[in-house]
Amino acid sequence: MKIGIDVGGTHTDAVVLSGSEILATHKALTSSDVKEGIVNALDAVMFGASLKPSDVSAVMIGTTHFTNAVIERKHLSCTAIIRACLPTGTGIPPQCDWPEDIANSLGNHVYSIKGGHTFSGDEIHALDDVEIRSVIKDIAHKGIESIAVAAAFSPMNPAHEVYIANKIRAEIPNANITLSHEIGRLGLLERENAALLNAALGSLADTVVSSMKQALIERQIDCPFFVSQNDGTLMSADYIANYPALTFASGPTNSLRGAAMLSQISDAIVVDIGGTTSDVGVLANGFPRESNSFIDVGGIRTNFRMPDIMAIGVGGGSLVSADGTSVGPKSVGHRLVTEGLVFGGNQVTATDIVVAAGLHSIGDMQKVAHLKPEMIEAAGDEMHRLIDDAIDRMRPSDDPVPVILVGGGSILVSQQLNSASKVVCPEHADVANAIGAAIAQVGGEVESIISYSKIKREDAIAKSTQEAKDKAVLAGADGNSLRVLDVEETPMSYMDDNAVRLRIKVVGELKQLVES
Amino acid sequence: MKQISAKDIKDLCCGAAFLATGGGGDPYVSQLAAERLLEKHGPANLMAPEEIPDDFNVVSIGMVGAPTVTLEQLPTEDEAVKAFDAYEQQTGRKIDAVIPFEVGGGNSTIPLTVAAVRGVPCIDGDGMGRALPEAQMMTFPLYGVKPTPAVLMDSWGNSAVLHCNDPLTFEKHIRAMAVAMGGMISSAEHGMTGKQASEAAVPKTISFATKLGQLLRNHNGSIDAIESELISLFANTQYGAVKRLYTGKVVDSERKIIGGYDVGSAALQSFDANLEPMTLLIKNEYLVAKVGDQVVASVPDLICIVEQETSRPLNAERMRYGQRVAVFGIGCTHHYRTEAALKVTSPRAFGFDMDYVALEDIR
Repeated sequence: MKIGIDVGGTHTDAVVLSGSEILATHKALTSSDVKEGIVNALDAVMFGASLKPSDVSAVMIGTTHFTNAVIERKHLSCTAIIRACLPTGTGIPPQCDWPEDIANSLGNHVYSIKGGHTFSGDEIHALDDVEIRSVIKDIAHKGIESIAVAAAFSPMNPAHEVYIANKIRAEIPNANITLSHEIGRLGLLERENAALLNAALGSLADTVVSSMKQALIERQIDCPFFVSQNDGTLMSADYIANYPALTFASGPTNSLRGAAMLSQISDAIVVDIGGTTSDVGVLANGFPRESNSFIDVGGIRTNFRMPDIMAIGVGGGSLVSADGTSVGPKSVGHRLVTEGLVFGGNQVTATDIVVAAGLHSIGDMQKVAHLKPEMIEAAGDEMHRLIDDAIDRMRPSDDPVPVILVGGGSILVSQQLNSASKVVCPEHADVANAIGAAIAQVGGEVESIISYSKIKREDAIAKSTQEAKDKAVLAGADGNSLRVLDVEETPMSYMDDNAVRLRIKVVGELKQLVES
Repeated sequence: MKQISAKDIKDLCCGAAFLATGGGGDPYVSQLAAERLLEKHGPANLMAPEEIPDDFNVVSIGMVGAPTVTLEQLPTEDEAVKAFDAYEQQTGRKIDAVIPFEVGGGNSTIPLTVAAVRGVPCIDGDGMGRALPEAQMMTFPLYGVKPTPAVLMDSWGNSAVLHCNDPLTFEKHIRAMAVAMGGMISSAEHGMTGKQASEAAVPKTISFATKLGQLLRNHNGSIDAIESELISLFANTQYGAVKRLYTGKVVDSERKIIGGYDVGSAALQSFDANLEPMTLLIKNEYLVAKVGDQVVASVPDLICIVEQETSRPLNAERMRYGQRVAVFGIGCTHHYRTEAALKVTSPRAFGFDMDYVALEDIR
């Protein structure tokens, strides 16, 4: 039996799964105390499913702690960055485009040194031991223990980052070191930012992970527990203490993955309709389609693996104009339950329209009896048009796609959507996030620039696939269950004719679950 | 004399991305580097082409290579300045002014930074009025300016001097050198007199790109609302007519690397069901636009695409199914309307089996 818990900014969802069968669900407001929130969620679902602690084989947790820490600039450690790239890169030093408040939270300890590699694999410059020693001495002197290391082209050749890390450990044994190649993809500036944020979150990660562990101990649950990351795969709890930044987008990812399981559809558009916005994402092969563009986390440019989500201003609390032709983006949000007409308020919301049309019975129907049929029809059409439009923009091709509705606002959709081949509104959609966490798998990913003139395409793909599989096994996957999820080849402009950026991603089941 | 300062760079980069007609790479890296240099060294003076003294010694400066490389090998603060210094040393003459060879994309900012650091003016103009992939397509050689001597500088401070017999050979050699020198280099090339520069340069493109970027960035909403402002901004410039060619969504986008180019096509579908789809033929830049079988715009006229709802220019490599876009055709500068110019810049020069038809002569 697996337990999935999703700790969001507002709600904490929990679910008990036996295989793909849902035995119990729970939804509560998120508590400020991490341990207490998890203990409460565990108690509720274990009671609901009549579980003994020994029945639990794994606990999966999704969390927004680390995203919120960055956004609120709280609990961030003083952190140094060592970038190995000189003589290149002097035009754009580390952290030069950071918002001042968060740069100051980390203390502006910026070091650029000689090193890194070129696209063809040569060293930009050999590492200089004297230079490295003096940088480390300075960092040690300042008493800084969180350190990020980034070298040019390290995703293709991490040797320089690894060498510097060993030197740091020798001098600062307690150092919390993040190497950029372990956390980001090509794009030095963005990867270095990701490494910095990750290092700065290190001490918070220790606290959060030990609170989670403590919660399990208090309820005598002695099984592996995992935390879900951006791409819908899992990290072991000890891994997350080292890579907290990899959880930044786990919320939307879990919602998409949960929708896939609930509906048993692996290729679809998922529309998560909340109070103020609808988040539209794409499921391809059971996993979220990832965004191509740079992701801004708290004002900092990163290139994390994040799902491609389009948010539109339509939700259950969206305000409706007097003639019904305009819906949203203004919304009463969570005040829907006091300000909506059917709840005795005086704002006409999308939810009021659904009730007035006789599609759902929520609150006091008499309060919307005065709304004119033309207005109700116009507003209904407008909501559907906005949602249909977003689906149309996100779908991968011109063909109609299955659409899965989740979230409390999914009652807004009652008519046919032109871009949808069918519309599914699965049961338990309100705890899709926790389900997504509970069903997460373990993944591995490798990215490199390869010239097919130098190595045959099949050989290059085979080699990268093996590297990705090795990474997944290291992260806790069962080697036999691994499958290739994605092979992405991006040709590179101006380079020699067969140069491509090759990215391979594999996923598999958790080793513990296969064995048990 | 006008000036460009650090606070103008975001506008300039946005306008330059519009004029890049789909090419020019990710403008963020060049924007950051230019902002920092201008903050440190102060604004660059912009000299209008009609102000250039005839006997001025002018050199064109920019970067050549693969934009993807600069994602890891971030720009070196003084690389273009070193190319400038080495060019002076090589030719034994002081440079009086620099000029961009390409306003489209990141190359609009490089000469400004050199101008700010070395205290020489940057000419408000460039050698394309847009972005194009090869050296022989610049306006400079069309006015008799020789590309070499050219000084190539890499991030390590290694340099090479090219002497080539003709622009085509120069293009072939500088491309090979760019790969050998780490994938991206700075080049000081196309030395010319002030008189030549005032004739050959597409005038006022730097100040124009800045104004254009300002319009698009300040608005940050639907292009429909600023279409008339956009059209009037282009009026009274060296550019020809501005036509909205199409509005629709991307329904297909496909790209391959052939012969060092990013080659492919994209298809757009109109929201008006009666209109046939638009096909865009791409070789780094958007080069030909067709509606059904009818060519509605072709290189060297500009095909510029913005996201319909944000008015932000859309790079060809970022084009993806579902994006709502507005396509504009803009008449190229008169520099490209001669037979000699069209020989190296028309669709045929890119291997398309079609002649150039001027935008204003279509429909």
